[in-house]
Formats: sequence, structure tokens, C-alpha cells
Amino acid sequence: MADGRKQEFAVVGKSVPRVDGPPKVTGTPIYTVDMERPGMLHAAILRSTVPHGRIRRVDKSRAEQAEGVVLVVTGEDLKTMPGIDPYFGPAFRDQAILAIDKVRYIGDPIAAVVATRRELAYEALDLIDVEYEELPPVLDPVEAARPGSPLVHEQLRPAKAFADLAEIEPGKATNVCYHFKLRRGDVEQGFAQSAHVFEDWYYSPPAQHMMMEPHAALAWVDSDGVLTVITGSQSPSYVKGSLGAIFGLPQNKVRVMVPLVGGAYGGKLYDKLEPLASLLTFMARRPVKIQLTREEVFITITKHGVVSHVRTGVSQDGKILARKVEVYWDTGAYADIAPRVVHKSGYTSAGAYRVPNIWIDSYCVYTNKPPAGAFRGFGVPQVVWALESQMDMIAEKLGRDPLQFRLENVLLEGDLFATGTPVHSAGLKESLEAVAREIKWEPGVRKAVKPGTKSGVARAKGVACGIKAVITPSISGAIVVMNNDASVNVLTSTVEMGQGSDTALSQIAAEELGVRLQDVRVMHPDTAVTPYDTITAGSRSTYHMGNAIRLAAQEVKRQLFETASDRLEVDPDQLVARDGRIFVAEAPTRGLPIPEVFQARFGARGATLQGQAVFKTYAAPMDHETGQSEKVTEYWFPGATAAEVEVDLETGKVRVVKLVEACDVGRAINPHHCEQQIIGSALISLGQTLFEQMILENGELLNPTLLDYKVLTLKDVPESAVPIVIEVPHKDGPFGAKGVGETGTLSVSAAIGNAVYRATGVRVKELPITPEKVLRGLRAGQ
Amino acid sequence: MRPFKLLDPRSLDEACQMLDRYGEDVKLMSGGTAILILLRQRVFSKPYFINLKAVPGLDGIRDEPGTGLRIGALATLRAVETSPIVRQRAPLITETFRLVANVRVRNSGTLGGNLSHGDYRLDPPAPLLVLGAKAVAVSSRGRNTYELKEFFRGLFETALQPDEILTEVVVPDAPPKAGTAYFKYTSLSETDWPCLGVAALVTPSDGGGTCGELRVAVTSVAERPMLLEHLGPLARGKRLTERLLEELGDAAAERVDPIADARGSEWYKKEMVRVFVRRAVREAARRAGLAAG
Repeated sequence: MADGRKQEFAVVGKSVPRVDGPPKVTGTPIYTVDMERPGMLHAAILRSTVPHGRIRRVDKSRAEQAEGVVLVVTGEDLKTMPGIDPYFGPAFRDQAILAIDKVRYIGDPIAAVVATRRELAYEALDLIDVEYEELPPVLDPVEAARPGSPLVHEQLRPAKAFADLAEIEPGKATNVCYHFKLRRGDVEQGFAQSAHVFEDWYYSPPAQHMMMEPHAALAWVDSDGVLTVITGSQSPSYVKGSLGAIFGLPQNKVRVMVPLVGGAYGGKLYDKLEPLASLLTFMARRPVKIQLTREEVFITITKHGVVSHVRTGVSQDGKILARKVEVYWDTGAYADIAPRVVHKSGYTSAGAYRVPNIWIDSYCVYTNKPPAGAFRGFGVPQVVWALESQMDMIAEKLGRDPLQFRLENVLLEGDLFATGTPVHSAGLKESLEAVAREIKWEPGVRKAVKPGTKSGVARAKGVACGIKAVITPSISGAIVVMNNDASVNVLTSTVEMGQGSDTALSQIAAEELGVRLQDVRVMHPDTAVTPYDTITAGSRSTYHMGNAIRLAAQEVKRQLFETASDRLEVDPDQLVARDGRIFVAEAPTRGLPIPEVFQARFGARGATLQGQAVFKTYAAPMDHETGQSEKVTEYWFPGATAAEVEVDLETGKVRVVKLVEACDVGRAINPHHCEQQIIGSALISLGQTLFEQMILENGELLNPTLLDYKVLTLKDVPESAVPIVIEVPHKDGPFGAKGVGETGTLSVSAAIGNAVYRATGVRVKELPITPEKVLRGLRAGQ
Repeated sequence: MRPFKLLDPRSLDEACQMLDRYGEDVKLMSGGTAILILLRQRVFSKPYFINLKAVPGLDGIRDEPGTGLRIGALATLRAVETSPIVRQRAPLITETFRLVANVRVRNSGTLGGNLSHGDYRLDPPAPLLVLGAKAVAVSSRGRNTYELKEFFRGLFETALQPDEILTEVVVPDAPPKAGTAYFKYTSLSETDWPCLGVAALVTPSDGGGTCGELRVAVTSVAERPMLLEHLGPLARGKRLTERLLEELGDAAAERVDPIADARGSEWYKKEMVRVFVRRAVREAARRAGLAAG
């Protein structure tokens, strides 16, 4: 944390206000849901009412006659359309634009109605008759993984869309669409040498992203035959490729544009409404817009429900000797990006500690439920919930302070991760120490509630920590265009979805080019213009796009220096760019304002200089059987949580009094925004810890509205919620920066669970920690 | 949402005629906070709605000596909550109404709509039940007054006839020296529907020190809001000791048949009836100047 070095920077490291703040608070930006096109039609989706079944017959004739209806299309129609491959998916092409032959969950799209008004399209859905032959539904992921279970998918086709998923091969005749394995040391011998072995099941339920803007897409075909889609997507480059593959179009005939996005949290990645909107616009020959209702968002994409079994062996002096983890990921009817979730969370399933003997089996399992995909934290919060709950149970058994027990075992710089990869820039210890300081941690073992205490309030503190790795390999491209007045346009496919990328990337460009923050404008994705970017997700944009922009800006600067060095008669490497001028480092008065450099170079108003760069990261391929790799990730982002809770002993209700979250961000490009990301993600987790869950019965979602699915509101925020920015600079990060979008989600649930245990003696192993579970535990203990 | 036609009656008479004319095809709408959700979810629809807000004069709040508070059915929850007259005459209503949903809902939702909806998860019925409120309804047949304790019949079911319009709620004055309290308990987010709500009214006995009258109502836990009339006799003339509070809680739980949902199982909700009846009675007693325990 080199405060001295920060002084070198003009814009980076400063808590400048958001560049998109004023427009957003004055309500001026246009989001996808606001978009219209002349002649635009609206589509509505008919969805399956059974969890698993063969489609016997779909009769759309009555709907076709309804008022305002332009066309009705079904999966059956897709089968006979020439030149269309109707399946999509980033890992497996397992999802049809509209269900073909089979439906796989309650909510599976069966048919679409296109009408002149949105209400009329929804109205006509009731006129479509569907006959099913119901099949036994597959509902429990552990059961579904067993041989002989009914199959959700009879066969699978890998998508080959991403380098990091290249190794994924589908299992045969099983619902396990991906199995991640990690083997390190000799786990059985480790258990044999252990003084204590702990074994527990944990559960984390499916949950919602709850972005404010629902999924929406508007598609049309331009006069020159270009399929154009405006969509609130986190992955415009992927969507371009996917639409090309589905409709057999050259990549320059697909154009995907993403305006500001009203929140995403992982729920707007890969194909969502874009394939259907495109299909419908081709058929209707008019612009078509689809916008989901909140109820539809609920069944479009979810956070994985996870069942995990953790077995840990420790020595009497508190060393972790062996850990065996078995995790079942309930991925629902379609895999979406789940294999990557299972892979990434799979190799972090042994936790943030030095463990010599590790065995991990992580199963991605199809069931007849709404699909699960990416969610802020990408699966790691679910495994950390299990691991870090057990860490406290171990510490108690050993009579150790849980904080101290963690600090003694936690991974330090250069230690080998479970994958055999040395750890760099992983401020775990720093994060744990910071939260402990802030919460005023009192060392020692738990003070239990006196037996027989039935009323009053019990109060205690808990800690936990977690670590996540960034997706590797991945690619970000950027083009930096400088205008002759020193103003700058940055062309990137990074999506501003509320996380602050417009601001952070502007700061990086301004710093590198030596211009003011307000001189930089980050342009939003338009795949006809902006270069490829893997995804806006996984806490990768600041690092990857930041590096790409920095390199592209250096190319612009090189050209500026080239011209300036002629005029100033000095070597280019003696020049610096700062405050809108190019000048000699040793003699700052010898210099030129940037507009004069342009004048010297072009002599033309409106002239531009361009620089472009592609930033790519590499991973050493993992061994298939052991999960070992010299370099598994480009960087780690560790975090720690401390929570102080009060539990009402009569009701079991938990009130979080104070929540402290510390995350290692590498270098804070914008410290205040880092704090907001840290506390924002911690609060999302707080809601999921205490009350959020999708309740499903026989595949049917029982709480598909915000009336019954409760999210955290302002009234639930602890009186004290403290974000702490830890800076352990990364050697290759832009100015040392890494990412911070997800770190705050990792360990909140476990820290609260541990605090509840320390307050009451009740160990809840199934999220959410509802008052009823706590009260049942209290009663059982009395 | 299916399309519908909104009818604007200019008088109560006209509204009654509309109900008679359209029969099954029409439904009354006031603040719309509940009905619009049902319409949006497409679980309910009617070709016509009568917009009661178009009828002038149904939203008054006044105190009529000898009768009590007269609150027009079209008064918004927020208007009731912030009314100085209500605060003075029935602070229990003020205390309860400020806990309903959020200020946006309270600004739109009306007292009459709230009660007529018959939703079991609402706060307002509890204080009105312990205060002995009456609901006044009119139809083209005439005028009808319902005791509120007989008004709630079941899940989304009230005593109102299809041709009747709830126009007014009459709240008699509380007995002298009464202490009142409302406890709302949410087991999930703070802004959730209640897991349950308990209203209590306690008066000191003439001699002081012991309980005179005790009235308790529970809401949001069973199919309908309930006045638990069997509790009063258990407490009359007795000191409200912790032991008696526990007996009252147990007696309340025995009479309540909870609806299990995400907010708690039947077992849990019964346990919470015990806890919150104790808490509400204890607090009401304290406010009545009776030391509990």
C-alpha cells in the first residue's frame, strides 16, 4: 500500500465522482427497455407448465386469428426452417430458441407471439393449446447424478465458444454435464494422520440476480441485410458470434449494441432473448422487441442451488492435513455457463488455506428446474459458505480462536494453491486482520448462551474469508481515438451496468494520455465498431480492459511524442504527457499543448490519432485427472468478512449490527468506487444469507414475485456497514489494479453463520439463516 | 394485464347502480395497490372496474362525540396515519398504520380497500378489531353496519355482499385509561408482509394494580384477522404477571390455526403467537400504567 507512489498519478487513485452519475440521477439515459424503432412489433413467450415432458401438439391457430397478432411461431416451426441451427449455449448447444420436442422446466419457452402491442401479444398466449406427454421430473441434483436417473438431455453438443471451456466434454447418458476433478497428495493418508476428521453437508439455495432492468432485446434487419440487436447484455461479442452461428451469418452482418444496462450481476450473459428476437424479426420483417416481466426473469436465469459435502482432517496442533470436497451444482434444465462456474468454483473448493492433500469432485447436474448460470461470485460464495462454516467448527473442537486458526493456515504470497499454482498478490491475511481490527475482535473461544435462557438477546461476532480466481485465459481489445482538441474516445466492448467501468476506464485512459478525466469518453459496445471482449463479468474489466486501454493509449502517445520530439528537438523517450501537454521531463516548460502537436502533425481540423491493443491472458492447461496447473489464473481476489449479530432468543431472528468487508483490489483506481463495490456485494450476500431463496416444489417456483421473494431493502442494512480497501498491487495490473466486483460476496454468509453460532450455539448449515431455523436449533439445544 | 374499462361514478348512488348493472363483470377499485398486482399477474381480471376515487366525500376523517372516530373508506392509509384527530383519539391506529408496507403504498391504498380485500396479511384489521370498530356498507337496498369482528369470514372473504360498498369505518372511543400496543413481526426482510401482527388493549381495574379489560387481536397468521375474545376473561381482575402473560400467549396459540408459508411453518407461527401476544399485552399494560410481572 504505497501511499507515496500514489502521488505520481494525476487521475488514478483518486475518488473522482462517477462520469455516468449526473445523467443517471437526472433520469436521462436510454436503456434497452426504453428503446423503440419505427414499425416495431412486440413479442410474448408461451412457457411450459410442466417440468418435464414431450410436446405432443401445439395448436396455434386460434392465437393467429387474435386481434393485433402478426405471427405465432413454435419449436416445431424451427425444425423445418432452412439455414438455421436453432440451438445455443456457451458451454453446450443444449437450448433451443423455442422448445423442440421436449420441455425441460416450468417456464421453458414453447412458442412466441408477435403482435402490434405488447398486451395483445400476452393476451394471445392464452389461445395457444399445448398437449404434453408428461415425463418423470428430475428434481434433486444428488439423485439426478446417480446412474439410472431419468435424463434431462439425451445428448449434448459442446459449443466451443471459449478457450477456457475447450477441454469440456459431456458425459454420456448421465445428467452430469460436467465433472471437475482435483487430486493433490494422498488424501486418505492425510485423514489417517489426522487427529480429528470433520464431515458435514451444507446447502445454499437458488436465488435471483434481481437486476432492476429486466431482460430486453430489440432486433431488426437493416436495409443492407445486417441483423442488428440492441440488448442489455454483458457479453455483446459472444452474442455476435452466437447469432452468426445460429443464423449462418457472416460476422460483419451481425451487429450487437449495448447501451447502459440497468444492473446484471451475471444474469445477462450469453444468449438470453437475442436469438428469439432475431428469429422473430427475420420472420416478421419488422423490428421486434421482447421484454420480460419480473415473473419471467425469475425463471430465465438463477444463482445455482448447491449441495456440498466437506470432509476435513486436522492435526492436534491445528494444521489442515486433508480435505475432500464433493459438490453438486443444480444447474437446472440448460447448462448456460454452469460448467465454467463448476470449474472455477471447483478448484477453489478446498478454500484459501495451505492443505497438502486435497480431493475435489464437483458435479454440474441437469435437473428439471429453471436454468442456473453466472451470479456475482460465480459459485465461490456457495462453497465458501460450506468451507468457512466448517472452519469455525474445527476451531471450536481444537479450542482455538477462529481468527487465529485461519491466520495460521491461510495462503501467503508464494504458497501453492490446491492446483499447484503459486499464489501472487493475495492479501488474505491483510484482509482478515483488517476486518478483525475494525470489528474489535476479541480472541478466544465462544461464550455460549447459558442453558435455560429463553428470552433476551444474544450477541456475538464471527469471521470468514474467501478467495476467487479470475477467468483465464480471456481477451480484451480496445481502440483509443484522440481528437485534435485532446479529447478522447475509447472504443471498448465493456458494458457499463452500474459497476462503474465508464469511470474506472476513463481514469486509466486519462492517466496514460495525460489529459483530464472529463476529456475522455468511453463508448458503449457496438460490435460493428468496438473490438472483441470476452465478457463484462468475473471482476475482469478493470484489469483486462484497463490493460488494453493503457496499451492502446501508449500507442497514441507514441505518435504524439513522435511529432513533438521533432518540434522540440528532443528524443521521444525524454517526453511525458501530463495536463494536456507534451513536454520534456527534465524541463517542463519546454513543451506543447496537445492541440499544437496535432496542428504540427496534420494541420487539419477534426484530425484523429488512433491506437489499438489486444490484451490476452494465458493459463497453463490443467491436468484432466488432477486439476494441477502451473498457472491456473491471471490473478486472485481474496476477501474477508467480520459480522456482529444480535439474536432474539424468543424468535430466533438475527439482526446484523455491524458488517465489515475487506477486499484486496490490487490498486484502487477509484478508492470510493471500490468501497461501493465491496459493500454493495456484501449487502447482496447479506440478503441471501438471511432470507432470499427461490422456493421450488415439484419444479414449480412458489415465490415468483417480489411480494414473496424477499430482497434486502434499506431497512435491513446494518447500522454499521464498513468496506475496507486492501491494496496488494499486482505486478501486471494497470497501475497494479485487479478486480473487485465480486470479492465482497464470498464470505458474508459464513461470517454471519459463525456469528450466529457463537451467539447461540446453533449451527445452521442450510441457507438462508431464517428465524425458524435458529429457533428450532435453540429449542433442540435446551 | 388484460384490458378493462374504468367507470367513474359521480355519486355513491351511481356507484351502487353500476354494481347492480354490471354484476359479475365489475369490481370496485379504490387505491388499486392490491388489485393492480393481481391484474398484472393475470390471476384476476374483470371487464369493468368502478373507480371509487371519483366519488367525492368518502375520504373524511372526523370525531363524532358519543360515536367515536368516523373514517371514510376512501381515506388513504397515509391520511389516517397522519391525522391529528386519529392520533389523539386512537393512537393505536396511528402506531399501526405507520408500519404498513411503505409510504408509497400508504399514499395510494385506502382503508376501505384494505379491509374489503380480506387479505389475511394486513396490519390495519388488528387495531380496529381491538377498538371494536364497525364497518358501514351501502347498496341500492340500503345501509348495513357490520361489527368488524364478524366482517372477516375467511381467506379473501368478507361479509360484504356483491352489491355493497364499504363507505365508512366507525371506531368507538377506547375505554378510559386504556393502554394499547401493536407489534408487527417480519421474519424475512423488514419490508415483507408480516409473519404476524398482534394488537392489544389493556385497562387497569377500578382498584388499580390488576387488569380490567383485555382485548387482543392477531392478524397475518391465520386465514383471517381474529379478535381473541377468550383472552379477556382469563386476565380480568388479575395481576399481569409473566406467568399470566405466558398463559395468555398459550391460550392465544391454541385458538389460532396458522397458514404455513415462507415466513414460517405452522409450528413457528404458533410459537410467534405466544411470543408476540406476551409482548403486546406486556407493552399495552405498561402503557396503561400497570406494571407487568
